[in-house]
Amino acid sequence: MRGEITGETGLSGKKLVIALAGNANVGKSVIFNYLTKLHQHIGNWPGKTVEKAEGTLHFKGYTVDVVDLPGIYSLSTYSIEESISRRFIAVEKPDVVINVIDASVLERNLFFTLQLMELETPIVIALNQVDVASKKGIQIDFEKLEKILGVPVVPTIAVKGVGIFKLLEKAVEIFEGKLEAKPRQVKYGEEVEERIEKLAEAVRDSGLPYPARYVAIKLLEGDREIQEEVEKSKPQAAALARSLGEELERLHGHSCPTLITSERYQAANCIAREVQKLVPPVKPTLGEKLHNVTTHRVAGYFIMAASLLSLFFFVFAVGNVFSDILTSLLYGFKPFFERVLGTGFFEELVWEGVVEGLIAGASVALPYIIPFYLALYFLEDSGYLSRIAFLMDSIMHKMGLHGKAFIPLILGYGCNVPACLGCRIMETQRERLIAAFVTTLVPCAARTVIILGLVGRFAGIQWALMLYAFDLLVVFLLGRIAFRILPGEPTGLIMEMPDYRLPHLKTVLSQTWFRLLEFMKIAFPLIIVSTFTVKLLETTGILRVFTSLLAPVTVAWLGLPVETGITLLFGVLRKELALIMLATLLGAADLSKALTPVQMTVFTIVSMFYIPCVATIATLVMEFGWRKALVITLSEIVLALILGGLAFRILILAGLT
Amino acid sequence: MSSTADTGVSEVPLAMLRDGETGVVVSVKSGYGKAWGLKKRLMDMGITPGTRITVVKSAPFHGPMEILVRGYRLAIGRGMAERIFVRVEETRAGCAEK
Ligand SMILES: Nc1nc2c(ncn2[C@@H]2O[C@H](COP(=O)(O)OP(=O)(O)O)[C@@H](O)[C@H]2O)c(=O)[nH]1
Ligand SMILES: [Mg+2]
Repeated sequence: MRGEITGETGLSGKKLVIALAGNANVGKSVIFNYLTKLHQHIGNWPGKTVEKAEGTLHFKGYTVDVVDLPGIYSLSTYSIEESISRRFIAVEKPDVVINVIDASVLERNLFFTLQLMELETPIVIALNQVDVASKKGIQIDFEKLEKILGVPVVPTIAVKGVGIFKLLEKAVEIFEGKLEAKPRQVKYGEEVEERIEKLAEAVRDSGLPYPARYVAIKLLEGDREIQEEVEKSKPQAAALARSLGEELERLHGHSCPTLITSERYQAANCIAREVQKLVPPVKPTLGEKLHNVTTHRVAGYFIMAASLLSLFFFVFAVGNVFSDILTSLLYGFKPFFERVLGTGFFEELVWEGVVEGLIAGASVALPYIIPFYLALYFLEDSGYLSRIAFLMDSIMHKMGLHGKAFIPLILGYGCNVPACLGCRIMETQRERLIAAFVTTLVPCAARTVIILGLVGRFAGIQWALMLYAFDLLVVFLLGRIAFRILPGEPTGLIMEMPDYRLPHLKTVLSQTWFRLLEFMKIAFPLIIVSTFTVKLLETTGILRVFTSLLAPVTVAWLGLPVETGITLLFGVLRKELALIMLATLLGAADLSKALTPVQMTVFTIVSMFYIPCVATIATLVMEFGWRKALVITLSEIVLALILGGLAFRILILAGLT
Repeated sequence: MSSTADTGVSEVPLAMLRDGETGVVVSVKSGYGKAWGLKKRLMDMGITPGTRITVVKSAPFHGPMEILVRGYRLAIGRGMAERIFVRVEETRAGCAEK
């Protein structure tokens, strides 16, 4: 998208970069989508599990690049999102920042705006959701706000496209210098202000990409990243900051970061009070009532169970239909293929190696990802996700995660791919990683085929259920262990529960579509390469050698027939293949004749845990990078072997055969 | 900032408040070392000394609390709520808060 519209070619040689910044759930994505329509690209920020959405549009002879920054509440470095946004604004220097604020929660939004102004970047404010605000009885005098802040303010209703054009116009005017945006600076209390000035003087030539005043404020605010950088470039300024901070603490009896944050909030509070008129709403809104029942200590859980079940069935019912259609459609090409390439070694390699890989990717992953993304966006944008997190927090906390992790975990029972993608709803990189790790251990639909088709069918459903329970136990324990091992802050829930809102369909659809594209770009090559490799090894006979090499593990340690080596290798491509192949290789449709109950159990345990399938691995690579994906994969292989081997021995000791 | 030198009025952790009760934040204890970020995060969400907080309800099984702060709804974990110290405003008659 960026490739086809470059600033240099074409008539519009003028370029403009706009960043959208603001709190979460204020309407940035809707505005972004309205602006860029189909010219978007959704990916990740380099090396981070944070979404980066970029897009382009043409306006008044400009090629405008729009970047949708992650939703944040502050510009410190508490989270990766905050660092990313701050760096982007200070280092990449977008020409204009559109600060989207939620008119119905003005004060908290202004707290962020004031920090943006401290960064001394050109700002236009989109006073969004004025419709919601007025329903809540909040009227805002935007012209007065404009005067107080010294930046243009445009009232908008993003979901209806109201005010967006004006917003762009203002941005261009600022860029062209026709409109003066002179952001007023927050004045802190006298004692604080004095010290900020003194410190700003000391850090003026520190070489950081931020304004001196901003650096001074953040130093006093206790910002780790800036402290470290100043420590390196101007240690005496860092020392000065410490002593000034201590002075302030003595004067006020509060820590310096507390003081600065409170005073900024105080300023936001004053501005908000000055510009908004509150008329108490006549009656509690529908959203209010919905909130009360969906967070109710009894009813809330029933509603949650019902909605998650329907979500689950929605994702997998829709997915199954599409999966079947796609599979038969794609297999329909086979005769055509044979006609072109003939039947033989080459055709088989291309078909089974490349095309079937494609089919696997297209029919296993895609059909589920689409409805999943739709459902997830719906949950997230409506505000319901935060209610689920609220209800499930205490349980999830026991494994070191907070309530939101419940969603990916549940989805994992369907397919690990969307579940891993869903882990990005967690706040920190660490929580995302733990959530993804435990999620890949949840038996997905394909593994369910093995559990039910092997143990359930031949050993009895109670054994299958026991395996599920066992899996849950392992997930739980490993979550706890990972939580202990991985460094980072203790988890604590601090989550806004925004008012219920109707998700904007167009935005949801387009986000789904562009995320899907990203997924295909990353996952498909990997799926195809690995399918091809396995087929190549098989047709050249190397796979046989491989399996006999695996014999010490499969036969000696796990007590399984040597053929299981091949099936487990193929299972990496698609887990349910392991079972199907096992039947053919052992030459027995009735597997109970070829395997003992103990072998069945061990085989199932190993396939449950041993490795995320290739589509899941691809997802992990996309979300966390190669190294972490590799670590997860390898540790799960080891885990599966340990559990399988132990199960084998324990079951034999218990007198089973 | 209102003066916070507290004179005899009892300060309790927010976690002690009952549904519907309101308190004014006196201080947020940071805990040590690693929990620093959480304190900052709480303050960035508007929980600064002098702020009024109303407890709406708590999730079962010792779950998080729903509070109203600066005109919006926030959910915070129990652990967080233990660290926020408030002065209770409207103590209902007979309710001695520990
Ligand atoms: N009524 C109303 N809803 C809005 C408006 N802007 C956004 N929304 C809704 O608010 C929710 C959050 O919007 P989104 O763009 O995802 O917020 P983001 O987190 O800032 O990207 C979605 O459900 C939107 O449909 C608005 O102006 N009016
Ligand atoms: Mg968004």
